[in-house]
Amino acid sequence: MVIHAQPDWNPRISLRLAPSSKASSASSASVLDTSNSYGLHDTMRFGMRQIASEVSSKHPLENRLAEWDNTQMELKMNMARNMYGMHAPIKMAMERSLVIQARGPSMLPQRSNLGLDILAGKDESIDFEDFLNVPEMSTDMVDVHVVMERQLGIRA
Amino acid sequence: MTSRLQQTKGGFNFDNHVRNTMMEGKGMGIPKATKTGTTIVGLIYKDGLVLGADTRATAGPIVADKNCEKIHYLAPNMYCCGAGTAADTEMTTALISSQLELHRLSTGRQARVVTAMTMLKQMLFKYQGQIGAALILGGVDINGPHLYTIYPHGSTDKLPYVTMGSGSLAAMSVFESRYRPDLSREEGISLVQEAIEAGIFNDLGSGSNVDVVVINSEKVEVLRNYAKPNERGVKEASYKFQRGTTEILKTSIRDLVDIKESVNIHTPEAMDIS
Repeated sequence: MVIHAQPDWNPRISLRLAPSSKASSASSASVLDTSNSYGLHDTMRFGMRQIASEVSSKHPLENRLAEWDNTQMELKMNMARNMYGMHAPIKMAMERSLVIQARGPSMLPQRSNLGLDILAGKDESIDFEDFLNVPEMSTDMVDVHVVMERQLGIRA
Repeated sequence: MTSRLQQTKGGFNFDNHVRNTMMEGKGMGIPKATKTGTTIVGLIYKDGLVLGADTRATAGPIVADKNCEKIHYLAPNMYCCGAGTAADTEMTTALISSQLELHRLSTGRQARVVTAMTMLKQMLFKYQGQIGAALILGGVDINGPHLYTIYPHGSTDKLPYVTMGSGSLAAMSVFESRYRPDLSREEGISLVQEAIEAGIFNDLGSGSNVDVVVINSEKVEVLRNYAKPNERGVKEASYKFQRGTTEILKTSIRDLVDIKESVNIHTPEAMDIS
């Protein structure tokens, strides 16, 4: 008689190693992101914009790199669920949310979250994003007024 | 200055991709990156391993660098030869060297060669071969000497003797005919030198000098420009014209600036303390 100690294994949980090169959300871009109160793209605030080029021709690596960290996190969670049971990913997700909540509910972009970095293992590694196009050194600014207006639902 | 909705993430920026594809469609190609062409080799001998590389970097049909360094430092016990796009190999090895140092500080132990290989292969797989770096990684750690090849898409091999680059076939022919296990240090170095010279003389993408690095469990010897089979010949005669070849008809000298030297004596004024 064999006693299986492992929890039920659901074959439908994806153990995807790498993200796809096409954005899974049906690749769409909307004018409403950058629209003013007239409903058109606000060229004065955001510069020129071509919706067609945003949707059709994307570099094969763009989505892969943007989704990489999330995909790895999901893989770890799914494997932990298969190996240890439901409690393991729940604990991991709880720690993550505690660290994100500790920062406060502000939507404005702030300095990087050290707790999140430690949980993800980024405090002990260095990658291209740490010295190429570092957000702290960029000359573009996030317009806090636009972000707040968006949140409060006021369209200027 | 236009404003943004979200803070840009670090790392590679793909904003110019649309413009580049449009320009390529109209006929203007992307500028050619400097490649290393290259012959790089590695072999394991009795006490450790020997890495070798040529020193030519090409940009299309032009030699961009006659004496570049293709053997990069990764850790005190590991070195990495790089073939492919020169910037990619340099940046990749520098990044992994930093990661290895962070790893070493966090574990408190000497880094293993397989750690560096895993970091390299995972990074190259993540970028799907767009980072054109073909590497030969060699080092000695607690488990002995190890030699790995890493291809741009992320596949790896672990072998006793390896060659990479455009001159790899020429160098591999030398290895296949003369390699045997347990070579001595001198035999290993001379075999590596012959393999690189086979690449230098038979492949257009490789040339100039031979660099050798010998790694064993005690020390690392970096023999930069170990052999120089392509030294420029010295001209036998001097082709400069002697003074007096052209006859001087008239001499007139005018000073452009009037130089007057004079000495001024300053009497220092007494300090006014009132």
